[in-house]
Amino acid sequence: MAELTQYLLNGISQGCLYVLLASGLTILLGIMNVPNFAQGHLYMVAAYLGFYMVMSYSMNYWLALVLATFALGIIGLIVYFLVFYPVRNAPEVNLFVAAMALLMILEGGALYVFGTETKWFLVPWSRTVLSLGSLSLQLQRVIVIAGTTVVMLALWVFIKKTSLGAALEATAQHREGAMLCGIKVSRVSAMAFIIGTALAGIAGVLIGPAVLLEATMGMGPLLVAFSAIIFGGLGSIPGAVVGSLLLGVAESLTSGYISAKYSLAFVFAIMIVTLLFRPKGLFGKEVWRP
Amino acid sequence: MALLEVSHLEKTFGGLTAVNDLSFTVNQGQLVSIIGPNGAGKSTLFNLLTGAYRATTGKVVFDGQDITGCKPYQSARHGIGRTFQSTTVFGNESVIDNVIIGQSLHLKTGVWGAVMRTGKARREQEKVREKAHSILDFVGLADVATRAAGGLTEEAQKRLSIAMVLATNPKLLLLDEPTGGVNLEEIGGLIELTKKIRQSGITVCLIEHKMRMVMSISDHIIVLNYGTNIAEGTAPEVANNEQVIEAYLGARRVA
Amino acid sequence: MKHIASPHAAGWLLALAVAVLLPLFVGGYLTSILLLIAIYSIVAVSLNLLYGYTGQLSLGHSAFLGIGAYAFTLICVKLHLGFWPAFFGATAISGLFGFLIGIPALKLRGPYFILVTLGFAAIVGVIILAWTGLTGGANGLAGAPRPNPIPLPWGGRLAFDSLLNMYYFTLFFLMVIVFVCRRLVYSLIGRTFVAISHNENLAESLGIDTMRKKLLSFTISATFSGVAGALFASYNTVISPDIAYYARGMDLLSYLIVGGAGTMAGPVIGTFVMMAIPEGLQIVPTLRTLINGVILLVFLIFLPTGIGGGFKTLLPRLGRSSKSGMERNGVA
Repeated sequence: MAELTQYLLNGISQGCLYVLLASGLTILLGIMNVPNFAQGHLYMVAAYLGFYMVMSYSMNYWLALVLATFALGIIGLIVYFLVFYPVRNAPEVNLFVAAMALLMILEGGALYVFGTETKWFLVPWSRTVLSLGSLSLQLQRVIVIAGTTVVMLALWVFIKKTSLGAALEATAQHREGAMLCGIKVSRVSAMAFIIGTALAGIAGVLIGPAVLLEATMGMGPLLVAFSAIIFGGLGSIPGAVVGSLLLGVAESLTSGYISAKYSLAFVFAIMIVTLLFRPKGLFGKEVWRP
Repeated sequence: MALLEVSHLEKTFGGLTAVNDLSFTVNQGQLVSIIGPNGAGKSTLFNLLTGAYRATTGKVVFDGQDITGCKPYQSARHGIGRTFQSTTVFGNESVIDNVIIGQSLHLKTGVWGAVMRTGKARREQEKVREKAHSILDFVGLADVATRAAGGLTEEAQKRLSIAMVLATNPKLLLLDEPTGGVNLEEIGGLIELTKKIRQSGITVCLIEHKMRMVMSISDHIIVLNYGTNIAEGTAPEVANNEQVIEAYLGARRVA
Repeated sequence: MKHIASPHAAGWLLALAVAVLLPLFVGGYLTSILLLIAIYSIVAVSLNLLYGYTGQLSLGHSAFLGIGAYAFTLICVKLHLGFWPAFFGATAISGLFGFLIGIPALKLRGPYFILVTLGFAAIVGVIILAWTGLTGGANGLAGAPRPNPIPLPWGGRLAFDSLLNMYYFTLFFLMVIVFVCRRLVYSLIGRTFVAISHNENLAESLGIDTMRKKLLSFTISATFSGVAGALFASYNTVISPDIAYYARGMDLLSYLIVGGAGTMAGPVIGTFVMMAIPEGLQIVPTLRTLINGVILLVFLIFLPTGIGGGFKTLLPRLGRSSKSGMERNGVA
């Protein structure tokens, strides 16, 4: 029983990574119908950035978190202008291909720059483990859970309570309608990109110290985050959150009771099954139809 | 003989009831017009008949078969053809290719035949090509057969979309505002085409706003408002119906 | 009015002549590059059928390449069957996987379909690495055979131990697959695929069972990629998990799009150009995906129809009217 609870706890902390990635994915999908295939790789870049800042430049971890998030936001802006803005009026499939091109650039670039050796992102409290009875969790993982909660709350406040957030939601729901209301849609889109990539940035520095850094660490989480969106329901951030947490727990349980090597395949299988039998997902609106 | 029987059809989208307890019958060989104010549920009805929308409740029986809940390609195979309000053709293809594509649902040649160009495959291609030409003749587009469909005028594209649907060999043709966006001189031609289609034995169901056209060619008129039929009958019957007048013009005040 | 030799046919014959004669003049190393180009062209052609002509963007074809390679090798090495049973077996297995993954994937449209195919590619890569008992894991598998020698009518045999003969063997399959795809695309079924790629809803309203047609295209595409995988295994005799690495699927798509998706020559042109030039410039393999991505992006912004598409718009200016696909084949 204690073992199960432990796995559940691990799963929630694992799920937080997916929550951050999936929210970013949902925002970008909603705003420009862009599936940011590179979301996982952006997370990886942020983790490496944080790693270098803390390990090579002895920066304070929290400062690194802020700076890396900021840097990723700027990368998001650059990506928006160089990759997606130029093809915004092209047939939609060109947008998808552009997203793939971005993924290729990051994939190739990462392998070239970071190589194939794994790195360990150490922080002053890397060895600290919190215990409660027979349950234990690395302090970093607790920070992950706390950090994700804070970020998601801030996101909710931003979207629901600020006028910029309302513009974001409006543009996501109906681009032309938003334009008619005087909303500068291209600015809102740029902002959406900044937010979406910043979320990946936060994820990178939050989760980095809790895992091994490798150039290939981004793809798996991207696929799980995406499965979470399908499972939790397309077009809904709450759905993405719930889906992410559930899949994080599923992954943890599979890892613990069956095998760690196949947990990703298991998560993918869940997505396939969802697609076959309940394409709308748990809270979803409509399966994507143009 | 009843070709299409709609019973208590209903469609709700969340809180909005677009089609409400709608029942009517269309007999074979008739030309039925469906009219009503904007938002009355006319296009929704067509979507329900072809299966593009799933009915909330109710039944649709076509040619003796219950087709409620069919998918769009299945209703086409049963014999219901449909054009759209916004003209949809394959703009990048030539006019004749569009009509050839329209015949796809009757294709018998498989992959093997296609790749090996068997005699059967070549004969079918020949047959398809001939039929496409004759359909283009029928709708009056024979002289633009090799042009790209996207380059045609709006009226010609409407004819083409009708030709494409005719290629599917429908028993019932649903025309959704065939004269929408077409200028006055060209309407006459489309009206003639509609009559010609009906004369060839195809039952026609028409959504239209142009009253003169509707009154002049329809055997039967169904008036929809707020998703249900408020009146039915011949042109004179419908024109003098109090509820119809009220729906279009507002309540008549006693002077 | 039939043309005896249209510019298209002349172009293909010329390319074929070059492909056949070139290895005789360049060294063994360059011939091996040509062989790889031929193998990857097959995948690009199969992707073209699915994406260029049916409008479905699949990031998952590296999986079929890998499945073809591993199925071929396993049938030979573990089941001790010869080249041809393994070849057809591997092809069939790839096709089967295509069919099975196509069913759920094709229910989705747009980005969701693409992501499922990407997921499939990643998962296949993971499974190949993890299932060491079957696949040898990171160590890979050795022992895939070359094709059995073919007895010649005038005595003697055509053996495939030599690089040159293996190259011609591969080239033969490339030609066959291009031929089959061309016939398919210009047939009535092919017109259905193209209709789906332009406007799936309209196609559906005309009675076309779009799910079935997309699945057909997907399965055929997967089958041909499996052929490429088996050919690779036979040529290399040793395979490792990187044959199924998902980034390769994206590389292949970039070759297709740069070459011109939706044209018959596009995939071959694209694969040749995008593989030969980095090889000529001696660019480090690890940088290739990055460069492919950049080139792809540049083409997307400035010449989205690719090299082949660019030719297509040029041809009318050379005096040919733009004829429909069926007219060019003398059908309409």
